Amino acid sequence: MNTVLYILIQLGVFVLLAPLVNGVIKKVKAFSQKRKGPPLAQLYYDLSKLLKKDCVISDTASWVFTAAPYIFLVTTLLAALFVPVTVFLQPFSFQGDIILAIYILALGRFFMTLAGLDTGSTFGGMGSSREMMIASLMEPALLVAVLTLGLHSGSTSVFAIMHKGMEGVPYLFHPANILLFAAILIILLAETARIPVDDPATHLELTMVHEAMLLEYSGRHLALIELAASVKQLFFITVLANLFLPLEVFIHTDIHTIALILGLGLYFLKVMALTLLVALVELYTVKLRFFSVPNLAAASFALAFLGFIQYFVVGR
Amino acid sequence: MLVLFSGGSVTIMKTLFYLMLTLYAFAAAVSLILYSRHRAGNILANILSMAASLGGIAFSLSFLLGPAVSLPLLAWKGYVPYITVSLGLDSLSAFFILCLTLLSFCVSLYSLGYLTHYYNKRPVGLFNCLYNLFLISMALVFTSRNIISFLLFWELMSLVSYALVVFEAEQPENSRAGLIYLIMTHAGTAFLIVAFMLIYTFTGSLEIAPAGDAITPPLKNLIFFLLLIGFGTKAGVIPLHVWLPYAHPTAPSNISALMSGIMIKSAVYGLILFLFGVLGVSTAWWGMTILVSGCVSTVLGIAYALMENNYKRLLAYSSIENIGIIMMGLGISVAAFAGGHETLAGLAFTASLFHLINHTLFKGALFLGAGSLHYATHTKDIEHLGGLLKKMPYTGLLFILASLSISAIPPFNGFISEWLTYQSLFSCILESATELKLLAMLAIAALAMAGALAAYCFVKLIGIAFLGLPRCDCAKKVREVPTGMLAGMGLLTSLCLIFGLFPRLVINPLDKVVREILNVSILSGLQGEHVFVHHTLETHGSGISPAYALLLGLFLVLAVFAAVKTAGAKSSKRIYGTWDCGFGKLNARLQYTATGFSKPIRIVLRGLYRPTRQLQVEPGPSPYYHKSMKYIVSTQSIFEKYFYGPLTGAVTNLSRKLRLVVQTGSVHIYLVYIFVTMVVLLVYNRAN
Repeated sequence: MNTVLYILIQLGVFVLLAPLVNGVIKKVKAFSQKRKGPPLAQLYYDLSKLLKKDCVISDTASWVFTAAPYIFLVTTLLAALFVPVTVFLQPFSFQGDIILAIYILALGRFFMTLAGLDTGSTFGGMGSSREMMIASLMEPALLVAVLTLGLHSGSTSVFAIMHKGMEGVPYLFHPANILLFAAILIILLAETARIPVDDPATHLELTMVHEAMLLEYSGRHLALIELAASVKQLFFITVLANLFLPLEVFIHTDIHTIALILGLGLYFLKVMALTLLVALVELYTVKLRFFSVPNLAAASFALAFLGFIQYFVVGR
Repeated sequence: MLVLFSGGSVTIMKTLFYLMLTLYAFAAAVSLILYSRHRAGNILANILSMAASLGGIAFSLSFLLGPAVSLPLLAWKGYVPYITVSLGLDSLSAFFILCLTLLSFCVSLYSLGYLTHYYNKRPVGLFNCLYNLFLISMALVFTSRNIISFLLFWELMSLVSYALVVFEAEQPENSRAGLIYLIMTHAGTAFLIVAFMLIYTFTGSLEIAPAGDAITPPLKNLIFFLLLIGFGTKAGVIPLHVWLPYAHPTAPSNISALMSGIMIKSAVYGLILFLFGVLGVSTAWWGMTILVSGCVSTVLGIAYALMENNYKRLLAYSSIENIGIIMMGLGISVAAFAGGHETLAGLAFTASLFHLINHTLFKGALFLGAGSLHYATHTKDIEHLGGLLKKMPYTGLLFILASLSISAIPPFNGFISEWLTYQSLFSCILESATELKLLAMLAIAALAMAGALAAYCFVKLIGIAFLGLPRCDCAKKVREVPTGMLAGMGLLTSLCLIFGLFPRLVINPLDKVVREILNVSILSGLQGEHVFVHHTLETHGSGISPAYALLLGLFLVLAVFAAVKTAGAKSSKRIYGTWDCGFGKLNARLQYTATGFSKPIRIVLRGLYRPTRQLQVEPGPSPYYHKSMKYIVSTQSIFEKYFYGPLTGAVTNLSRKLRLVVQTGSVHIYLVYIFVTMVVLLVYNRAN
């Protein structure tokens, strides 16, 4: 019963909040360009419109094409279940581990890249090959960063890391954690197809990575993929928010439900702050040439490894 | 069924072992007797070898699940002094025989259908005889209890596999591949022989038993290096791997499956046996060396696999990657055991052996799939394929599932063994000495990169071969392969899924092996619940339950499907052509090619690949319209160019010079040689 409640709260928060994050980023970018921009709830409207539209499927495509959006969404939601939105959800615990979450995301990516190749179009192949290259270069940095975090708490379980963060000095001010935060921020930008790695608003297929894989999708499949991409973005933001900013330590109350509600509110504030940060990064950087992305990946790995050395030499 | 397997009595196990060997021998004999009747001979031989494999599975499982610790099987002393054949079974042998027989059952089932395309063209009877002899030799390698029988069956295994590799030897590149294989494996065996002779000289016994203090530490280090090079050559550890990408594509696919699936693991068996059983592990830097060689093999193996367009060479390089992962686990285990961290050693050892059996299963499935592809399309080049998923749906599905397993994606078994390797590296950082911590974090980075590159590699393979439009005529008129082939591959793939969902099914028998070799039980460190319900694996308080995650995933799929259907009730699906920018229907040439798909990594890792590019242009009427353009890009193996090339060049030059000087062809000079040798020996022995 507890597990069911946990799953419902997690999924509800992720699915309902994820499109809002996209809306906030677009609004911030618009304001910086002296535009009004689309409404905050634009992605919600888009998703509900897309669900009702017909979909056109290529005759070259096989079952991989139609199955991939479902697999992508379900794997992203499953991975999202492994990062609790607030540490007060622990009584409703779930057998989870950050490595499992990362590899479940890899399952979604595997099928999406296959779907890009399925229709026999050049753009799909291009998007798939670029996406896989970026993923393979970012993966070492992600795992080094995440496992260094795990070293503090002696376990790779997200709950344990969150709990350990609540003891002692606010987590972010520890030098190792600043480095790891920067490393995971770069990985967030890469995995969610944000500038400087990929431009989510580009209309030029030759510069697309993520969008090129989805070029053939329409209707309800496109809705599923858009939702999945925004949930994946929220997943990485939640990782940053909950593992590096354990502000729940300031909540002192004995009544569990109130703590939970306050925790959720605090989570919302943290997510908005990080969304603002991501939007600012998108504003102040330019999209890199594709073959400069390995340099960015190397920078991320260097930051993560330095964070590890910092932990290793100085300790916690 | 569990009652049947646990507590099997000694006589039953002995009988099953002899039955297994006899049935394999009988299958070999039958295929020779029915030499000219290809169909009957093939079917009978493969059914017999399937029966033998079942016997082998039964006997190894009953040993692993039962209480017996070691089972001496046969001791035969011939008339030649020193030549005794002594066979015995212990938990490590039983585990490897389990891997061998699981794979050989499925491969024999597959061969029922696969060899049909050799009927009336090649000697199928000879093939099946060699095949069964190969299986017997491997089973005997795993059960050898003294050095002589180990070497004897090791050599037999190498020679029979050479014969199988050059089975289709009319093409010159095939015989060259076989020659490279033969030379490399004998070079490795030479190192092994030196190591064994050293062991015998200092311990005075040919039994595989702990040497204790008889071998001094500096000598132990030397023997360690000799064993590492000798077994590393067979296993395909970089830089001794050069024969693998030649031998595996040349051999028929069922033999490649066996070679990649279990023959290269026999080297890991030998390494474990001699390191833990004879030398005794007490030095941590041995483990670090094995770990470093594992990391290098992992990353470089998959990097080379990405560049290959011949799908069997791709799979061969991928085997090198997975051997690297097995070596990583083994290295951590050796280093931890030497440092006294026994639970960590047990965890790493479990990870290593779990990955071993996983690799047997999924690489076996992939090579069988490659064989199905070759059977259907008669080409080994991915660039000629395309759109096969619609015409070979079952092979395609099984190939996708096996590729998911090898890319370490949940809920398959590859993920479990990689997770265990990550956890052992993580525990290593938590617990052990400083140098090892740094190395372990670098190993984590290497493993992460290799895992992602493996996914890239298999997305390329499946995407280019199975999806899209056919790029060549050979891919247009294909049919699904016979059911026997699908069944063999399907069995291996379903085992991958089962072991991924219920990892305790493998860990419980493995615990016996770990207990015997390392004297530590990992089940205390890996808590979890009952085998079939709520199946979890937990270590350090972080647990995973793949079965649970899969159930949840399926439930979510249904929920999403229901939500989508209700929201979009009135929407429909239209089938139309792929978006072609208005230029007219897309054809197969506009799709991405395999070379193009892996180009980003070729550019990023150009220091490793040293790619060379050639552009040949035939000019036409105008500088803007050429008659034809040819673009050739190739990567070189730096090991062959900078190490093996010069080495073989030097050896060939030396032997040429020696031949001119020493082997003159003149009988008089040879008589002088005999005379001088006799005089020297008489003078040398005058004191005795």
